[in-house]
Amino acid sequence: MGSLMLSVDAVTFLEKEGFSVLKSFLAASEDEATVRAAQIGFPVALKLSSPDVIHKTEADGIRVSLRDAAEVRQAFREIVGSFTSGNPGKRLDGVMVQEQGSGAEMIVGTLTDPQFGPVLMCGLGGIFVEAIKDVTFRLVPIDRRDAREMLEELKGYGALRNPRKGSIDLAAVEDFLLKISTFLKDHPEVREMDLNPVFVSPRGVSICDARIKTG
Amino acid sequence: MMNEKLDRLFSPGSVAVIGASNSFDKLGYHVMKSLVGNYRGRIFPVNPKGDEVWGLTSYPSLKAIPGAVDLAVIAVPAGMVGETLHACGRKNVSGVVLITAGFKEIEDPGGASLEAEIRDIAGRYGLPIIGPNTFGFVNLTSAVNASFTSEFSRIEKGGVALVSQSGGICHLCGFLAIEQRLAMSKLMSLGNRCNVDFPELLTYLVNEDDSTKVIALYIEGLDEPRKLLDAARSVGGGGKPIIALKAGKSEKGDSASRFHTGSLAGNHAIWKGALRQAGILEVATAEELLDTAKAIDSCPLPRGPRVAVLSGQAGPGMIASDTLEPSGLSLSRFSEETQRRINDLLPPIAIRTNPVDMGPAWYNPGNIIEILKAVLADEGTDGVIFLAMYASANLKLADGMVEHMKTADPFGKPVIACFTAPPGIWDGPIGALDRKKGVAILPTPERAARAMANLWKVNALANGKGVKTWDR
Repeated sequence: MGSLMLSVDAVTFLEKEGFSVLKSFLAASEDEATVRAAQIGFPVALKLSSPDVIHKTEADGIRVSLRDAAEVRQAFREIVGSFTSGNPGKRLDGVMVQEQGSGAEMIVGTLTDPQFGPVLMCGLGGIFVEAIKDVTFRLVPIDRRDAREMLEELKGYGALRNPRKGSIDLAAVEDFLLKISTFLKDHPEVREMDLNPVFVSPRGVSICDARIKTG
Repeated sequence: MMNEKLDRLFSPGSVAVIGASNSFDKLGYHVMKSLVGNYRGRIFPVNPKGDEVWGLTSYPSLKAIPGAVDLAVIAVPAGMVGETLHACGRKNVSGVVLITAGFKEIEDPGGASLEAEIRDIAGRYGLPIIGPNTFGFVNLTSAVNASFTSEFSRIEKGGVALVSQSGGICHLCGFLAIEQRLAMSKLMSLGNRCNVDFPELLTYLVNEDDSTKVIALYIEGLDEPRKLLDAARSVGGGGKPIIALKAGKSEKGDSASRFHTGSLAGNHAIWKGALRQAGILEVATAEELLDTAKAIDSCPLPRGPRVAVLSGQAGPGMIASDTLEPSGLSLSRFSEETQRRINDLLPPIAIRTNPVDMGPAWYNPGNIIEILKAVLADEGTDGVIFLAMYASANLKLADGMVEHMKTADPFGKPVIACFTAPPGIWDGPIGALDRKKGVAILPTPERAARAMANLWKVNALANGKGVKTWDR
């Protein structure tokens, strides 16, 4: 059977496992959202949290770079309003208030293949995932060389190595992939993970959003 | 144990052909044809009917054969295979080629249970089986053609072992090998892989088979691919590159998955990563598989990606150069000394920098070889692509090249050459240059460039060096 862990739950779980994540809280009301935003520090992002919605962008459920309490209130109202009018009968957990991520977006995923067993994937996030499927795979466990080659094989590797601003800490990305590989060995119950996006920057790697299937 | 038995299976002192026949319509006829006149050991036809098959004394049963049988080639109906394997076990046969089809590859579930039964019997006697459902194997090194395709004996003896999941691919590649002078050690289709599978063969070929220098795999799909990959990794560093053609690129991924990872993970995408992880070079086509295997068998590996292009005519040199960069190679820059040497050998009426147009020296094979040597001696050059189009007007040119090459020392860097001529004009001289002294000849400049790129990748895989452009 198995179960699915989403957004705040999944991110919190990964934080407990020692991964660097963007600070995230679930807020049930506008007031709570502003309190959490102040606690995190501006700017923040707000994201729809519903077990019935997988693609938050398509559901108009994301607002980013909110600079103050007023913008947070406004965003909260818009997200909830658009969800309730567009999705009658669907469940709403609340709105996730999250530290604003920055850097390049990557996707890191895992799956359990019927023939290969546990497999690790990484790729460039955002539009690249959908449009050009710029992703690479390795069987778990991986070593340092595999991690490096997974990145080098990406068509967008040049953009990761020489981004327009700053420089990405690629060694930290390799460390991250190695850590996911080790994590999978220790958690055979994790069947599939979708860490998307993961922000990579000069400051390292932070998981922004995640979905985890166990069982 | 397995390796010893495989050794005797592939290089038997005697072969029994069970189901040997004088009738052209029987596979046993063609197996006999492949063995007779080629194989040096003893051949025992087994057939309950005739006294003689292909002019050799035939025996009514395996048991009736006087003396030992190392290899049994079985081409009898599926229903008789079980009993035949028992006879092989009792006769202490070392190994079996089971040509018979009609096992798990057929729709009828009876085929799968029959296969389970023969696996069980083979297990009891410790009998390695190539097949069932195979054309057999050819061991060019010791002139054993244990297959129903006698023409495979025409493949030259060399260092390429092809292990295939498809008999058709073996035939395609075997015939191309004859045409393009690819030299092989072994050629085999594993058929249904009853108890001899990729992992066993990889281990055997890398660790035990001295004649094999490079292993080419054709893979369709495996239930437990990690076994193959683990075997490749464990024999890795044995100094024998493994290259693979994996079919099924067009297979659709599981797009029903709600997870990105799932929907992006076509089976082929995983294979691709897994092969590289195991140190196996993946190629895209049968042609590339053979070209790469031939280059590995014939040339030293380049220490870097910098290539000099030497061409008898400018155009082919240009298209070869165009192929370099997308393949992960680059044009080398000659040292002053090298350039001076080239300038001495070539009059200043053509491009003398890389890619070098050797046109003005064309009728002087001595100078052409000297240019080649000068470029190979350049520390900034890791390999050479050498192009020449011969026609009857270039009388003596190819012969002159052969003469000069005879006295040259073997090259320490790879030279991949594309020497072409109308069929029949220069076959002899071109053939005499091929696979000698570190030279491999391939049919087109693009294929030469791609093979050179793959040589560099093979080296990079073995040594963990990054290759700038892995994909194209």
